[in-house]
Amino acid sequence: MSAVAEAAGVSKWYGEVLGLNAFTASFGTGITGLVGPNGAGKSTLFKLLIGQLHADQGTLRLLGENPWNNVPMMQRLGYCPEHNQMYGWLSGQQFVEALMRLHGMPSEKASKAASAALKVVGLSGAAHRPTRTYSRGMRQRAKLAQALAHDPDVLILDEPLSGADPMARVQILRTISDFAKDGGHVLMSTHVLYEIERITNNIVLIHNGKAIASGDIHAIRALIDEHPHAVRIETSHPRQFAQALARMEHVVSLEVPAEDTLLIRTRKPDAFYKELPGIVADTKLDVRGLESPDDSLEAVFRYLVG
Amino acid sequence: MGFTESVRRLWVVTSLTLRYLLGTRRVIAMLLLSAFPFILALSLAAARVAAFNILLFQVLLIPLFLQVVLIFVTLVNATTLIREEIEDNTLPYLLTRPISKPAVVIYKYLGYVVAVLVLLVPPIVLAYGVTQAYQGTGLTTDLDVLGGFLVATVVGTVAYGAVFLFISVLVRKPLAVGLLIGFVWESIVGSIPGDVPKLSVIHYLRSVLKGMIAVGPMTTYRSDISAGIAVLILVGFSVAMIVLTVMVFQQMEFRQKA
Repeated sequence: MSAVAEAAGVSKWYGEVLGLNAFTASFGTGITGLVGPNGAGKSTLFKLLIGQLHADQGTLRLLGENPWNNVPMMQRLGYCPEHNQMYGWLSGQQFVEALMRLHGMPSEKASKAASAALKVVGLSGAAHRPTRTYSRGMRQRAKLAQALAHDPDVLILDEPLSGADPMARVQILRTISDFAKDGGHVLMSTHVLYEIERITNNIVLIHNGKAIASGDIHAIRALIDEHPHAVRIETSHPRQFAQALARMEHVVSLEVPAEDTLLIRTRKPDAFYKELPGIVADTKLDVRGLESPDDSLEAVFRYLVG
Repeated sequence: MGFTESVRRLWVVTSLTLRYLLGTRRVIAMLLLSAFPFILALSLAAARVAAFNILLFQVLLIPLFLQVVLIFVTLVNATTLIREEIEDNTLPYLLTRPISKPAVVIYKYLGYVVAVLVLLVPPIVLAYGVTQAYQGTGLTTDLDVLGGFLVATVVGTVAYGAVFLFISVLVRKPLAVGLLIGFVWESIVGSIPGDVPKLSVIHYLRSVLKGMIAVGPMTTYRSDISAGIAVLILVGFSVAMIVLTVMVFQQMEFRQKA
């Protein structure tokens, strides 16, 4: 297989707003990251690839087929949406199991597949809790479980790390890597380049609905390192957390914009993300959420597009 | 796609719909509203109203049940089937499975019909039982009345559900449009002299009651069709509405809500 997904001159309008602008790119085998700031067109492209939107112009192929209203193709696809809504009145096990039965699995097989997928993402302990009681990180993992439980050929993951706590991030990235090692293909969107860098070198950069670069991630790393990377941490002890992080040499600034929020800017995001779980474990401070605001990446994109 | 797999998908979508409509907190309001005929009959019996009999039962239930409870319960439940999944961003979980959009519509609609009948039928039967017990006649004495109301409830659930489901795929605020159709259109058009009432669902429900009940306020209703024909017209109308819903839904795009 040469390309898992291909887009040639794809445009999509929402009324007068242009979602994708003659987008052309090819997504190869293995893991490919679709990187761009919020509003760049990542979700629009993924919605087109899973057949929920219809391209106004251009041609689009997923696994060699047109995805619009393509029911048989869905057997080979696993999709993890960006939003966190689920059927909150179902437990994680019931949620994944019901969706597996839609793949035609008999009850027992669906139950086993759901249990196995929830185990892979580290949610076995909470499998029988209603999903409305899940934290954001747990929801991300449950969404990943429903996407991979039927063993698809390709996973399309829309911001799968958004809002996840450090432990959930590690689990999600490990699961995605293992899926790819077993021969699966992954298209994953993110607005944080450093997240995708940990699992692949193949990226497509998207900005204002256009593919502006694609290929090896290292080529643009130097550019990005010139811009401090921002990370926002949700915690009930932002000041104590700031004290612990201040020891990191690469941290440029620390701000407490709200009672439960800490904003960090670092020149070495790799090192920051690597050291963070250890600091959380040592200080025993709670981290409810971890997000990277767009501004640092936005600066890089402004630079790239001139 | 094999028959067994299709049955599995039917069961999953229908049971998810049933669980949502009957198993979440929203059902409490629906139960209270649906129980209205039973509560009314119990109240009349408890207050020892001398005129309370099977005729008063009909006089009260035709406007209050058919024109209020039935319309409101079908409206609230049918408009949530697809629209709420679109607004809640949960639809992609179903549509990224090997199940067609027409199947999703039809299976959800089946779940709706079962859920609404579970809500509406028991209170009617219980209200009838209370009325018969209060007037001291046997439970089988006025079965034509019970039969008429049950058939009208089933056919009304099917027809109103199909209309409101269609509205829900057409507009983003189906409840407001549904309220206009259910309470303004149905009551105004249904009460205009001549052939105009034939453009309302309530006309055919009244025709069912007229055709099935021997004695009651509907015996003088102006309708030139039998109960059977009225049922057939409403079933045909419902099928047409579902086909239209499927056609619209098949071409719908689903942009993520913020």
